[in-house]
Amino acid sequence: MIVDSLTFLGESLFGHAASAAGLIALMDELSVERAVVCPLKPPRYRLETANDEIVRAVEAHAGRLVGFARVDPWLGEEAVAELERAHALGLRGLFLHPWEETFCISGPVVDPVLEAARGLGLPVIVASGYPWLSEGLQLGELARRFPEVTLVATNGAQLNISGLGQQDAELALASCPNLVIQTTGVYREDFIEGIAARLGPERVLYASGFPAFDPRLEIKRTQWAPNLDAAAKELILGGNAQRLLLD
Amino acid sequence: MDEAGIAKGVVMTIVDAPEVNPDALELIAEACAAFPGRLEAFARIHPWYGDVAVALLERALGELGFKGLKLHPVTTIAHPAGEDTLRLIRVAAAHSAPTLFHCGDEPLATPLAVAHAAAACPEATIILGHMGGYFHVDEAIAVAERHDNLLLETSAMPYPAKIREAVERLGPERVLYASDGPACSPLLEVEKVRLAGLPAEAEALVLGGNAQRLLEAVR
Repeated sequence: MIVDSLTFLGESLFGHAASAAGLIALMDELSVERAVVCPLKPPRYRLETANDEIVRAVEAHAGRLVGFARVDPWLGEEAVAELERAHALGLRGLFLHPWEETFCISGPVVDPVLEAARGLGLPVIVASGYPWLSEGLQLGELARRFPEVTLVATNGAQLNISGLGQQDAELALASCPNLVIQTTGVYREDFIEGIAARLGPERVLYASGFPAFDPRLEIKRTQWAPNLDAAAKELILGGNAQRLLLD
Repeated sequence: MDEAGIAKGVVMTIVDAPEVNPDALELIAEACAAFPGRLEAFARIHPWYGDVAVALLERALGELGFKGLKLHPVTTIAHPAGEDTLRLIRVAAAHSAPTLFHCGDEPLATPLAVAHAAAACPEATIILGHMGGYFHVDEAIAVAERHDNLLLETSAMPYPAKIREAVERLGPERVLYASDGPACSPLLEVEKVRLAGLPAEAEALVLGGNAQRLLEAVR
C-alpha cells in the first residue's frame, strides 16, 4: 500500500488552493491508497476553520484521507484547545509550520502543544529545513525534549540546494530515534538512500507535499532510487506511514 | 547518461581549481578525451587566485577545448559581482563561452546577486544553475526577464510547473536542462522537464538544443 504522508488542502493565504477531489484524482493516477491531509494557511489566518475543512474532507473520503490539525503555538492554551477540539472531531495528528506561523521549533513556545500531542498520543509533522526556524539540529533539540512523541520532519529535515543542511539532518536523526524524515523535494536522491542505508529505511517516509510539489515527480524519488531495495521502498512508500501515522 | 537517454553531458569538478584541486583541469580534460563526443568540459575556478585563475581559464578555453566557466560562490565566498569574478566572466565571454553560476538560496548565490554580474558584463552569457533553488525561483525568472544575457538551468529545483512558467515568460531558448548528476538522478531530472508539459519544440530546445547552441558558439 502506498501512503502519501503529507499533502495540503484548502485555500491558501499565499494565493493557491487544493481540493480533495484533485488530490484523490492524483492519488488514483499514482496508485496511492491513502494520504495525510493538513490545512494550508488560510487567507484569514483562521486555522480553526481550516481544520474543520480537513475534518469534512476526511469524512467525505473515508478510508482514503487521514487528517492532521494545524495550530499556531503562539496562541498557547488556545492552540492546545484547538488541537483537542480537532482531535475530538477525528483528526489524527498535529502539523506545525514554523516558517508560516513564525516560531522557532526548538523554542519553549511549542511546549504546550507538544505536551498536548504527547498526552493524546499524536504524531507531529513539522515543516522543516527553514533557515533559523526549523533546521535539522533544531528538530533534534525538540526530539530530545519530547522523546515519546513521533516527530516527522518534512523535506528531509533540510532545504538547501547545495545540500548544506544534510549533515545536520543526519546528526539529528542519528541521535534521536523518535525523529523521521519525509522525502518531499529532497535535493539528491542519494541523501534518501544514504539515510536508509545508515540509519534504516524505517526512518524515511514518502511524502509529496502536494500542491506546492508535484506528486508525479515526488513519488519517483523513491520508486526510481537505484540503491533502495524492494523492501526499503515498500517501507518508505507506505509501511512506515502506516505504522507511525495511521495505526 | 545511457540509462537516461542523454547523448552529451557537460562535466566539471565538484571542487575549485587551483584549490582544492590543482589538477582539476587535467582531470576533466582526461575524462572528456576518454569519451569523445559524449562529454564537454566546464572549468570550475576560484576567482580569488587572480592572475593564476585567469591563466587557468585561458588554458582551459584556449588550449584544452573547455566550453565554459563554472563558479560556485558558496564554496569560494567570492561575490558574483566582485572584481575578481567579473574578470573571469569577461575572459569566458571573450571566447563566447558561458559562465554557469551555482544559484540558490544562500548568500552570495541568489539570483539578484548574480544579476549584478549580468548587468556588469552584458556581453557574457550567464546561466543561473538550479534556477534559484527552492525559494528563489520566482526571483530567478524575474531577473532573467530584466537581463537578456541570463539563462536558467533546471537541475535540482523541484517544481516542474516553474520550468513551464520560465519557458512561457522568457521563451524556450533561455531554459536549459541539467541533471546535477550524479548527486541528482539524471533519469528523474529528465522526467521533471517532461512533467512541465512543454510543447514539443520547446521541450527539444530545453533538453538539448539550447545547450548545443551554446557549446557550438565557443571559440
